[in-house]
Amino acid sequence: MAAGGPARRAHNVCMVSDFFYPNMGGVESHIYQLSQCLIERGHKVLVVTHAYGTRKGIRYLTNGLKVYYLPLKVMYNQSTATTLFHSLPLLRYIFVRERVTIVHAHSSFSAMAHDALFHAKTMGLRTVFTDHSLFGFADVSSVLTNKLLTVSLCDTNHIICVSYTSKENTVLRAALDPQIVSVIPNAVDPTDFTPDPSRRDDSITTIVVVSRLVYRKGIDLLSGIIPELCQKYPDLHFLVGGEGPKRIVLEEVRERYQLHDRVRLLGALEHQDVRNVLVQGHIFLNTSLTEAFCMAIVEAASCGLQVVSTRVGGIPEVLPENLILLCEPSVKSLCDGLEKAIAQLRSGTLPSPETVHNKVKTFYTWRNVAERTEKVYERVADEVVLSMDERLNRLISHCGPVTGYIFALFAVLNFLFLVFLRWMTPDSIIDVAIDATGPKGAWTKQYFLGKKGRVKEEILNS
Amino acid sequence: MEERRYRAVSGAPIALRRRQHSASCWELAVRGPRLQLRSLSAVTSAVWLAAYGLFVLSESSMVLSAAIFITLIGLIVYLHFVKIDQESLLVIGSLGIQVTSSYASGKESTTFIEMSQVKDVVINEAIHMQKVIYYLCILLQDPQDPQGVSEVVPLFQSSQPRLDCLMEVYKSCQEILEQRKTAPQSSGIK
Repeated sequence: MAAGGPARRAHNVCMVSDFFYPNMGGVESHIYQLSQCLIERGHKVLVVTHAYGTRKGIRYLTNGLKVYYLPLKVMYNQSTATTLFHSLPLLRYIFVRERVTIVHAHSSFSAMAHDALFHAKTMGLRTVFTDHSLFGFADVSSVLTNKLLTVSLCDTNHIICVSYTSKENTVLRAALDPQIVSVIPNAVDPTDFTPDPSRRDDSITTIVVVSRLVYRKGIDLLSGIIPELCQKYPDLHFLVGGEGPKRIVLEEVRERYQLHDRVRLLGALEHQDVRNVLVQGHIFLNTSLTEAFCMAIVEAASCGLQVVSTRVGGIPEVLPENLILLCEPSVKSLCDGLEKAIAQLRSGTLPSPETVHNKVKTFYTWRNVAERTEKVYERVADEVVLSMDERLNRLISHCGPVTGYIFALFAVLNFLFLVFLRWMTPDSIIDVAIDATGPKGAWTKQYFLGKKGRVKEEILNS
Repeated sequence: MEERRYRAVSGAPIALRRRQHSASCWELAVRGPRLQLRSLSAVTSAVWLAAYGLFVLSESSMVLSAAIFITLIGLIVYLHFVKIDQESLLVIGSLGIQVTSSYASGKESTTFIEMSQVKDVVINEAIHMQKVIYYLCILLQDPQDPQGVSEVVPLFQSSQPRLDCLMEVYKSCQEILEQRKTAPQSSGIK
């Protein structure tokens, strides 16, 4: 056991999600950073995801984070197809050989995460689920996802949300007991987002927007703001990073008002380039229409920019009032907010980028996230896993008469399938994997420095 | 020479025979389960019973003779091309590694890898048929790039021993590869 003292137990955590590197995004970096910090705290962590192109099989990342890329078919938007059963043999094999004690699934869009929760409950393992997104209640697709979420989460041990708004949303959607829902916000790596005032041109005022150019991010609002403000302030420039279907809207605006020299569209950005774009601006604008927890504004604030954002979802919780200007999601209100920010900037009443950075860097760190997640694991480890009959009762009583009975039947079938698999390949003939991380982890500094091919054999030699 | 019993990934019993010819020469052989008379007769009688059923329905004696031929040809193909009785590895420090698989019919297929081509022997993990298994493989040196690996040659593909057996083989192989490293010029003399 590492630095934490004798009171702390080490857990064998298995993170499951369809979304992981090489795919890029918030969930992916969340899983990676959280895993790294948990490894640092002495837990054994592995990640299970589906194969990305030729990247399949088993890989090791920094510090011995083991990643399983399973050969499952991708159906839509990098999410795998689900039949609830077909992934059981492989997932069971992995859970047994890695001696997993806690299955931690991520993202409600990931079919694999729900499958893994379902199988883990059948196998009697403890389950944790992290929800990364907000949903509506009105349209058909969200009604369906909400129903599935109800089924999937009704017997999960613990749920983690990224903001209080997201918690409220999830509790309502999945009809959960709020007691088992924790809030642990996302974090940013403050060393990646440092201010650099020399990079920006102080003779003009630059507003930076970094987001995917999609409807949900309020790009239509942005297309209304750009001409209005550009008319008012002749030295105002816009810098837009990101790609998406709404790019055409911004290009139209640029065309119509002849703003080619003042509105720059940078296209898709790699994560490491985001900081270089951010430091070129004075004000960061976020026009999202819905957001569970906005990472982008924390990153911008960490770079020392004044943030102007819409007051939606979990955004008001993210930063203290003196670092953010909140507006209603309308063109008028956002323009007022931006004008206020520009006035403050010109009068010099804004705090310097350094002070803002130093303040923000203490807010959201991955170590803190890992510590709080660990507390959830501790709590979950002491809970009892629902037995089969309790689980069936819960499903029937919780999910409505029709869905409840259907999924209770699925749970029984899944259990029978598991019994069959146990008979085919008993747990005793499954080789226990050699730990790369955790208390008995073979992956230490000296092995890590070796060449890739040597790593494994040295693990075996020890 | 010593023989030890292990299990394959599927749970079938296998035996590992190790023989040290000299300090830099090991012979390692993994012997799979022999063809069981029981399973052979079970398959044969199943095919013949099915053929007899068809014969009763169709009343054509062609069915019966076809069944006999199918069983015979099937058996020959199975023994000659499918069923591997023993897979062995002959590691000679100064020469190379010889990989032999012996089929149940007695047919042998042999490949030889020169020592200068062998970069390393490692145990790796792979996802195979709804299972995650450990396997032993030889990494071949990429002639262009001294750090690179041009090809991975998996060993014991048919017997698929479990990790404890692989570790034994691995240790013996490494013993010899280590000797090569301490005397790096030995292969260049020739």
